[in-house]
Amino acid sequence: MTMKISIAIVLVFLLMAKAFGQDGTEILEKIDKNMSSTNRIFESSMTIHGKRNSRTITSRSWSEGVKKSFSEYLSPASEKGTKMLKLANQLWIYSPSSDRIIQISGHLLRQSVMGSDLSYEDMMDDRNLTEIYSAEITGKEVVEGCKTLILLLKAKVENVAYQSQKMWIDEERMIPLRQELYSKSGQLLKRMELSDVEKIQGRWFPKTILFKDLLKEGNGTEFKMTNIKFDQQIPETIFTKAALKQ
Amino acid sequence: MLSLKLAFRNLIGAGLRTWLNVSVLSVAFVVMVFYNGMLDGWNRQAHDDTINWEVGGGQLWHPLYDPFDLLGLQEAHGVIENQAKKLIGQKQITPVLVTQGSIFPHGRMQNILLKGVQPEQEIIGLPTSNLVSHAGQEIPAMIGKRMALFTNLKKGDNVLVRWRDKNGTFDAREFNIVEIFNSNVPTVDNGQIYLPLNTLQEMTGMIDEATLFVAATNYTGGNFDEWQFKSPKYLLKEIDEIIKSKKAGSAVIYILLLSIALLAIFDTQVLSIFRRQREIGTYIAMGMTRSQVVRIFTVEGAAHSLLALGLAAIYGTPLLYLLQKNGIPISQTFDSLGVSIASKIIPVYAFAMIVLSILLVVVSATIVSYFPARKIARMKPTDALKGKIQ
Amino acid sequence: MIRFILKGIVRDKGRSLLPVIVVSLGVMFTVFLSCWLKGIMNDSFALSANFGMGHLKVMTKAYARESDQMPNDLAFLGTDTLLTSLRTGYPEMDWVSRIRFGGLIDFPDSTGETKVQGPVVGWGIDLFSQSSHEKDRFNLESSLKAGKIHSKPGEALITYDFAHKFGINPGNKFTLFSTTVDGSMSFKNFIVAGTVRFGSSALDRGAVIADLGDLQSALGMENSAGEILGFFKNGNYDNNAATLVCQSFNLKFVNSKDEYAPVMLRLRDQGGLADYMDYVDTIGGFMLFVFVMAMSVVLWNAGLLGGLRRYGEFGLRLAMGEEKKHIYWSLIYEGLLIGTVGSVIGTFAGLCISAYLQKVGFDISGMLKNSTFMMHSVVRASITPQAFYIGFVPGVFSVVVGNALSGIGIYHRKTAQLFKEFEN
Repeated sequence: MTMKISIAIVLVFLLMAKAFGQDGTEILEKIDKNMSSTNRIFESSMTIHGKRNSRTITSRSWSEGVKKSFSEYLSPASEKGTKMLKLANQLWIYSPSSDRIIQISGHLLRQSVMGSDLSYEDMMDDRNLTEIYSAEITGKEVVEGCKTLILLLKAKVENVAYQSQKMWIDEERMIPLRQELYSKSGQLLKRMELSDVEKIQGRWFPKTILFKDLLKEGNGTEFKMTNIKFDQQIPETIFTKAALKQ
Repeated sequence: MLSLKLAFRNLIGAGLRTWLNVSVLSVAFVVMVFYNGMLDGWNRQAHDDTINWEVGGGQLWHPLYDPFDLLGLQEAHGVIENQAKKLIGQKQITPVLVTQGSIFPHGRMQNILLKGVQPEQEIIGLPTSNLVSHAGQEIPAMIGKRMALFTNLKKGDNVLVRWRDKNGTFDAREFNIVEIFNSNVPTVDNGQIYLPLNTLQEMTGMIDEATLFVAATNYTGGNFDEWQFKSPKYLLKEIDEIIKSKKAGSAVIYILLLSIALLAIFDTQVLSIFRRQREIGTYIAMGMTRSQVVRIFTVEGAAHSLLALGLAAIYGTPLLYLLQKNGIPISQTFDSLGVSIASKIIPVYAFAMIVLSILLVVVSATIVSYFPARKIARMKPTDALKGKIQ
Repeated sequence: MIRFILKGIVRDKGRSLLPVIVVSLGVMFTVFLSCWLKGIMNDSFALSANFGMGHLKVMTKAYARESDQMPNDLAFLGTDTLLTSLRTGYPEMDWVSRIRFGGLIDFPDSTGETKVQGPVVGWGIDLFSQSSHEKDRFNLESSLKAGKIHSKPGEALITYDFAHKFGINPGNKFTLFSTTVDGSMSFKNFIVAGTVRFGSSALDRGAVIADLGDLQSALGMENSAGEILGFFKNGNYDNNAATLVCQSFNLKFVNSKDEYAPVMLRLRDQGGLADYMDYVDTIGGFMLFVFVMAMSVVLWNAGLLGGLRRYGEFGLRLAMGEEKKHIYWSLIYEGLLIGTVGSVIGTFAGLCISAYLQKVGFDISGMLKNSTFMMHSVVRASITPQAFYIGFVPGVFSVVVGNALSGIGIYHRKTAQLFKEFEN
């Protein structure tokens, strides 16, 4: 679920991109510029619509750039106290019940996290969008009553999970309202719908994201952010393994 | 020597009775050989099927390949170099590329293995040639019937498969099931999809690469380049051990079969001693020691087994040969997928097994003949002469 | 008439004792062979039954569709009532709950951080109930390579190859990292009680066996289980009995649209075993047929010889004025009596031996020295309904036929000639 958070984080920056020009690459550049300069703290609730029931997990997250992030789960009781630390391409999880820190590495990163639609690896990719993708604007469309530009992202490097992406960017507020991830042969794999747009600290922000793996059955996962704060002072000690056990 | 001659003369003299006994004994002996041949044949079949479908004359593995470490498959592949190419050209080895993929039956992800095989290969029994004759857009693929049953796929169906190329980039395409094969070897079937090697190499960007080679049965090359040779013995270790344990269980059956033969001898021997008391009395009256008489009767009983072996050889050899040549049909069924299964067992008669059976029959026949004959030693010669039942 | 013959048989030991012994032995061998054959045939599925499939297996419909993926999120919630109803409804079977799971086991270094870790498959089985036979089903005692079997909750057995590869010893602690029934992360600490080797490389490279209760708490499956397995109490799969239980159980839920309604499968219905079972049955049937034929020939021969040697007696009886037909029929009655008595004794003896070998088994581990394959070290016989009648085929039928054949001589030979044979 944390990788979902980080995808959300990517999107947070996406929406902050001020895509004035008609050049897709310019839009991406602006996103990247914002990403590397910001830190944030937010609380979130994630609702997983399982086959049998739906459950909601809340957490508080701190992150700095895209290399460092730390999350602590607040509820339900079974998850409370579980913490996750990501430093560059390393990931540790701490569980209070076993009082152990377990490193998730190697092939395991490609495994789906807790049967979710995303892998650990999805949340580990901390490269800038411009490093990975070239972009061009391919059309315009009305989404949920908003005029959008359709941005087509194509990978320009080899080691990337999704060869291409499609983004529907709100022309006025310059935030993505929909995002689709494609395979190399053009098969649509995942879709995200962004909504609940609000202005926070001068930025337009979609507070709710619905993730859906299109190859799997189910109603996807809903991610809502609350209490978002940008440009905060975060002590360095929080991004250490010692912080996991505290 | 005298006793043996006498024994045979007595046996021949007894006519019908002897021949009845000898026939029964010979039947028991032939059944014994047949039974063991059939059990061995059955065991051998599992062994041979695995060789035919999977192991071949051994396999050459990439140093990082471990058939049970699915996650490690990502790195377990190497380029097919000149030496390997030469061997492939000579039909000595055939390359197989193995990678992981996912399918989504019932809307849930299931990990499977994608195996790229040469459609033109003839080293393993997989009907890979079916993978060429395909003109459609989709990728031609072949699965086993267990996999078909599990995924509910039929010949001609399409299935969406997702995989990652060598860089980890997701890709997904429709595969068209062009063939469902039927193999007795579950390890080539469960959770696996076969497709042409070239296609899988392109799909994954692992151009000209393989995970392992299967060698032809006459391959003698051993390791080369980085490829490590795994002998059939190594690859079949588990099956061989199962067979060994099965054999131990069937030893009991062997003993039971032997008991048929011995029961026949025992019955005859007791009867003949009971009936021929006057004869016994006469032998003793003529000056034979009791032990000599016991020996005559023991040898006579044992001689049954020799005659039986001769008789068994006369009709058993062609019969067993015929069974071996044609096999024993077990079932001719059409399963739910319309795949025909013609199963038959080809008995295997090991020379050692036949010799052992002969020895066992003769030795145990002698022992079984001796016990009733011992009774003679306790007879009073005078009473025996008179034919008094004792 | 029958009494008269019976007296004759009993008083003339030559006519009674030996034939009865021979028939009994023959029948005993036949009965025992049929049970033994069934036993070794069953043995070829024992591994599958004990480790994964049971003789009957109850899962939710959703779980059953992809049971080999160990989808615990589709497991039963609240197995108590179901288990109770199975135990009372079908008391002839031993019903047990199990959890199968996949996960990662992680061994800490001295500072508590990951030292080694690896993927595993595992079983949560009932280890501590008095009446539980699960330890035997997994053959834990004889598979143990080091350490000991679980003595208390919180202990686990891991496979030897895994332990060996990573230098793990009994007494080491590890954390099982897995997924709970509702998809959350699960962490549970265990102590390695011992290491086991099952002889199957697929298992030996990474498997964990722990107590059901531990797994239930670890995976958030209190009072839940992925699978409920039923085993015949004698340890042998009986397809007819299994079919009856299965039909009667499934009938209750046949109209249920609930994806989580229980569904019962026979061993035969799982893992594509049906074809293989038929195949094995056919081979077994064929082997039994050949054996019964061979034994029939032996006993038929015994009957024939028994009749032949009594030609003198028949001559005497004819001379005394007894009718040929009467002698012939009395001979057949005798055969019938001897055959029946012998078959009853033989069947009883054969069943006794089989029952003993069904319970205790025949330890073949001595024949499997240096073998890593420990699963099949004890072979057992299996008593089937067939064993109760199969012996009568060679026992009664062959003896009667043998006597009938030898009796034909009575008609063919002249009284004087038969009488003369009496002289010899």
